[in-house]
Amino acid sequence: MCQWWWMLNFYVCIVDSPFLWVYGVICIQLCVCDGLLHFYVCMVDALCLCVYGGCSISMCVCWMLHLYVFIVDCSISVCLWWMLYFYLFMVDHSIYVCFLCLQRLDGRQTYDYRKIKITFGTDYGCCFVDLGKTRVMAQVSCELVTPKESRPNEGIMFFNLELSPMASPAFELGRSSELLVKLNRQLERCLRNSRCIDTESLCVVSGEKVWQIRVDVHMLNHDGNLMDATSIAAIAALSHFKRPDVGIQGDVVTVYSAQERDPIALSIYHMPICVSFSFFQQGTYLLVDPCEREERVMDGLLMIAMNKHREICSIQSSGGIMLLKEQVLRCSKIASVKVSEITDLIAKALENDKKARKEGRKCGFAESMPQERITALKNLETTVEMTDLTKQASDIVEGVETPAEMALSPVVPAPGVGQVGAGLQNAWGLEDEEDEEEEVDGDEPEVTIVAEKRGNKKKGERPVVIISDSEEEEVVILNPESS
Amino acid sequence: MNKGPTGRHSSHGSKDLVVPGDVITTDTGFMRGHGTYLDDDNLTASVAGEVERVDKLICVKPLKTRFNGEVGDVVVGRITEVQQKRWKVETNSRLDSVLLLSSVNLPGGELRRRCAEDELTMRSYLQEGDLISAEVQSVYADGALLLHTRSLKYGKLGQGVLVQISPSLIKRQKTHFHHLPCGASIILGNNGFVWLYPTPGQQDEEAGGFFTSLEPISLSDREVISRLRNCLLALSAHKVLLYDTSVLYCYEVSLSQQVKDILKPEVMEEIVMMTQQKLVEHEG
Repeated sequence: MCQWWWMLNFYVCIVDSPFLWVYGVICIQLCVCDGLLHFYVCMVDALCLCVYGGCSISMCVCWMLHLYVFIVDCSISVCLWWMLYFYLFMVDHSIYVCFLCLQRLDGRQTYDYRKIKITFGTDYGCCFVDLGKTRVMAQVSCELVTPKESRPNEGIMFFNLELSPMASPAFELGRSSELLVKLNRQLERCLRNSRCIDTESLCVVSGEKVWQIRVDVHMLNHDGNLMDATSIAAIAALSHFKRPDVGIQGDVVTVYSAQERDPIALSIYHMPICVSFSFFQQGTYLLVDPCEREERVMDGLLMIAMNKHREICSIQSSGGIMLLKEQVLRCSKIASVKVSEITDLIAKALENDKKARKEGRKCGFAESMPQERITALKNLETTVEMTDLTKQASDIVEGVETPAEMALSPVVPAPGVGQVGAGLQNAWGLEDEEDEEEEVDGDEPEVTIVAEKRGNKKKGERPVVIISDSEEEEVVILNPESS
Repeated sequence: MNKGPTGRHSSHGSKDLVVPGDVITTDTGFMRGHGTYLDDDNLTASVAGEVERVDKLICVKPLKTRFNGEVGDVVVGRITEVQQKRWKVETNSRLDSVLLLSSVNLPGGELRRRCAEDELTMRSYLQEGDLISAEVQSVYADGALLLHTRSLKYGKLGQGVLVQISPSLIKRQKTHFHHLPCGASIILGNNGFVWLYPTPGQQDEEAGGFFTSLEPISLSDREVISRLRNCLLALSAHKVLLYDTSVLYCYEVSLSQQVKDILKPEVMEEIVMMTQQKLVEHEG
């Protein structure tokens, strides 16, 4: 019976699955299994792995089954298999590994986007988008032109992206770099080929005059993930834009200015938004919304343009990494979640702007810039403790001296004045450790990101986020009586 | 605010610090230099820094800025791109600097004519991610720097530690390559990139160029370099001007502490204060 099972597994190995050796392990297991319970467990293992491939769900199931058998049977061999599965679980290629706490440089989780801020200008069709520190500006304008011969009653959409040295020292003026061409093509595919705008409504006189909508996007600062910011800016600007009204009397076409007649908004069917996924180490690690440093060291990039109705508008994979089918499907699921969030954000921003204009309040960039006062203490970035993460909790507890005794009743040195813990030790338990975000560029030629370093750690502990209060001074109350 | 321009007469004279929007002078007889603009006949500062006056020229030298290279500056940079017949080097300036193939020392002699094969094997000399030390040959019209490594002391950097600090903290000196007596060597790049490396043996001095040794470095050397790096960070956090003497004093003062303790804010403050005291004593 065992031999038949072994042959079946062997066949499966050759035909499918990259995890050949795992199947091999199962085969050996079956050959040496002792007891019927263990045999059943092996069959379930093999079934899981056949069905789910190498993904961690199956690993988890195998692991738990073996643990159960170990507890029930207490046999050494089962213990060994348990440890093997545990190891496999840890180095699995799946991104569902939950107890390896991989950290990004700015403290984000794998699927977190940076803070997105959308602001509109006083003109219709001007939009600034801040994605963390990446800043992009989109401006929409329109013009009456003759249509293409092949499409006489459709308007034209024209996209233009500019990468200036203002955005990054790596960009040169005038040189049409690969990045620029890639971004241009992706934006065109995302917005024009997806037919998100009704171009037929842009026709004024069929075959003679149509509106040409021109979208100019300028990169103002490059801190990673230009494509996402560009797509958000472009679609937000298009949704904000209003074209002049046109009247036709016989042969005469009149274009009314904004004072004569209210301008008309474009008719937008759906909002395609691009979501970028960066892959590291041949697809082992995935990060959504890479920042500039992460982009420099990534292996490949997958851009999925989707709208909130879960329709994929375009997918582009660059960098030459081999992606598995499941990975792409998983990315598209993540993208649908992100896209719906971002679409809500754009809708809210448009709503706010419309309200502000209707109420006659001042709108535009100057109003939306935050007031920077000295008294405003707001820090967007979370400082993460990067040094000395292998300290165990027990070490920390042992190292700290026993807290001093608490005062049972507060000491009042003067009427109307209260003190907390007067004269006694600081019982707040805050550690005076410095938290820094630092990277030492050693002798290795490539820049390594922290995520890769953390991946080498064994069983990971959660890094302790310590807030340093080293600038606190002791408050001394001057009193004539006390010293 | 009507105030006349004040210049720096000595290093201990009153320094005129301005913030963007401060009126420097209302006298129209002055020429305006970098960091200033004319606002209705008032010469106003556009950056935060100190006012420098040279005869009739007034400019504001900013405290925090990207590296503005001048001819003759020593820089430490990282190769970002390999293009046709040149490399693009990141030097903490507004644009990436350019290192031409004809400006480097090819192994095999200095005066060899560059052939097509050299162009194809550029990557074997310098790759993306390599660190180099170079000198600024000239400045392009758009502000990009043209570098060269046409001396044996410049070239690809081997094993060591890079520290990135603000370019305004590096003091301009005659030489930026120092062998510190504590057992390590330092290259203080004008662009704010400081390179710490173990002092090479006698025979390696003549190699130069692209030869980098991959021998393992001893633990004592590593400790010295780590300590120096932490000292540099401490000095830069307190905005102390960096040159070989100040780094050396800081190192000596920090010997009483553990290497990793130097990064704690209280310890940092203490060390920097003692360093500044020592500097005042010895240099008056």
